[in-house]
Amino acid sequence: MSTPAWILEIFAAVMLLVAEVSAGQLAIGRARTWRDADGADIAVSRLLTGVAMAGILVPGLSILPDAAWEAAFAVTTTWLAWRLWRESRGRAAAIARGHYAPPLVHSAAMLYVFAALAAPSAPGTGGMSGMGGWSSSGLPTLHAPTLALIFVLLLIAFTVHDLDRRAGTDGYFQAGARPLAPAGSPLAAAAAAGREPGTESALRAGPAARLLLSPATAKGCQVATGLTMAFILVIMI
Amino acid sequence: MTELVLGRERAGAAASPGTGARRALQLILAATWLLDGLLQYQSSMYSTMFGQMIGDGATGNPGVIASPISWNANLVEHHQVLLNTVFATIQLLLGLGIAYRPTARVALTASVAWSLGVWWFGEGFGGVLSGGASPVNGAPGAAILYALLAVLLWPADRPGVTATFVAARVVGAPAARLLWLVLWGSLAYFALTPANRAPQALHDMIVGMTGGEPGWVTGLETHAAAVLDHRGLAASVVLAVALAMIAAGVFLPPPLARGALVLAIVVAAFIWVFGEAFGQILTGGATDPNSAPLLALLALAYWPSASADGLPALAAGQGATDSGEAEGAGGRPEGEPR
Repeated sequence: MSTPAWILEIFAAVMLLVAEVSAGQLAIGRARTWRDADGADIAVSRLLTGVAMAGILVPGLSILPDAAWEAAFAVTTTWLAWRLWRESRGRAAAIARGHYAPPLVHSAAMLYVFAALAAPSAPGTGGMSGMGGWSSSGLPTLHAPTLALIFVLLLIAFTVHDLDRRAGTDGYFQAGARPLAPAGSPLAAAAAAGREPGTESALRAGPAARLLLSPATAKGCQVATGLTMAFILVIMI
Repeated sequence: MTELVLGRERAGAAASPGTGARRALQLILAATWLLDGLLQYQSSMYSTMFGQMIGDGATGNPGVIASPISWNANLVEHHQVLLNTVFATIQLLLGLGIAYRPTARVALTASVAWSLGVWWFGEGFGGVLSGGASPVNGAPGAAILYALLAVLLWPADRPGVTATFVAARVVGAPAARLLWLVLWGSLAYFALTPANRAPQALHDMIVGMTGGEPGWVTGLETHAAAVLDHRGLAASVVLAVALAMIAAGVFLPPPLARGALVLAIVVAAFIWVFGEAFGQILTGGATDPNSAPLLALLALAYWPSASADGLPALAAGQGATDSGEAEGAGGRPEGEPR
């Protein structure tokens, strides 16, 4: 007996929804004030993560080979680590860390998953070529399960922290714009006028756009992504 | 009166917007529930192994206790997919509910009921009544510790009483200390039962944990087992003395109490690594991280605050000024909607 396929499919559906939301945020943000990738990088990372996780859970949804995903998440992990390092030096270091740390951990966990899948099988493990072996859940097992457990604990910690945090108070959950706008930018002007960044374009785009860009949606996506990734790692240990 | 207390918490919150100590402990409890829920989704839990694991809890228990356990095991074996999915989802929701402030009280209440049910129907009271309980392998059962933590971390204060450690805030310092004494005192007792003080008891128990573990965990266990080979009695006596010191420690003045709590955390760490093999999570067959992390979490809930240092030992927690832990993040008591 194994983890029922319909449970994997439910988690996959949630991840596809997260990917869709992220794609919507990107599409709306493109017509807005995103500059030098503020906020867009997190949405891109979440989009990739959602699609990749859906492909792990339901192999029929996989659109790229593992090596391509590994390369993609190596790039996003490096990028997010650089962003975190850069933003952490600013005045709002704590907010920046809160903003970039969860997607960085998500991206690093995905990199680990694909690297652990691609690692050669140990002699005598009976694993398929290119895989570490197969768990009874029907998913491949991961090499270095201790690292998987460390990622699980990190992901759960961020999930709990995200849930405890109120969306929309301090820029921690931002879907489409950086929490701290540079002085003189349209975002800073909007903030100075007491409006949420991007409010006008969101209002023009209608309630759907407002929903997509709301901090609560960003929080929901982050929690769902962290939880689903922890689920994947646990059942692949 | 409760309203007054909560009102004072709100008033004080503005000066200390950081997450309070109690809320932090609640979040750790929530994380543990989340981990439990995820582990319950593992494929091994959808096999006959899970039902057999539950059925094993009946062994040695009195008939009145054992019969419902056997009934539950039988039920699980016949409805594996449905019941295990329900179990996993409930635990996941408990974790999410405790972490999300507006639902924290409901989730904590539900977790007490769920934990007590699991303690009986799933863990057979942790072997306490069957003579199989050992502090090294999970006594008195992880589930009862979840229930105890949910009560002690309840997001309200006992009217008229301010406390110098988190666990005393809802039940008062004397009751909290009594609960601690009973828990750790019973562990000291279990360490000295004939089954646990036998020359090879600890050795065999640790060796039995190595199956399916990664090499480095197996190495740790093997070395620990070698050290304890034919030294079961001496090791049990040392462990019992340490547990008894911990049990009495919370009645000592704050500096000594802190020493006892550090000892409790160290002992819990040793138990988790060597006795419980990290809850056997890395084998893919664990339902929870076992009791030791919860014992450590409990120790943190008894940590005396800085304001306790100026108080007589036994008076601490009765009439002392609050240490400023009352506030939750964002200036609200824990569990209150934001």
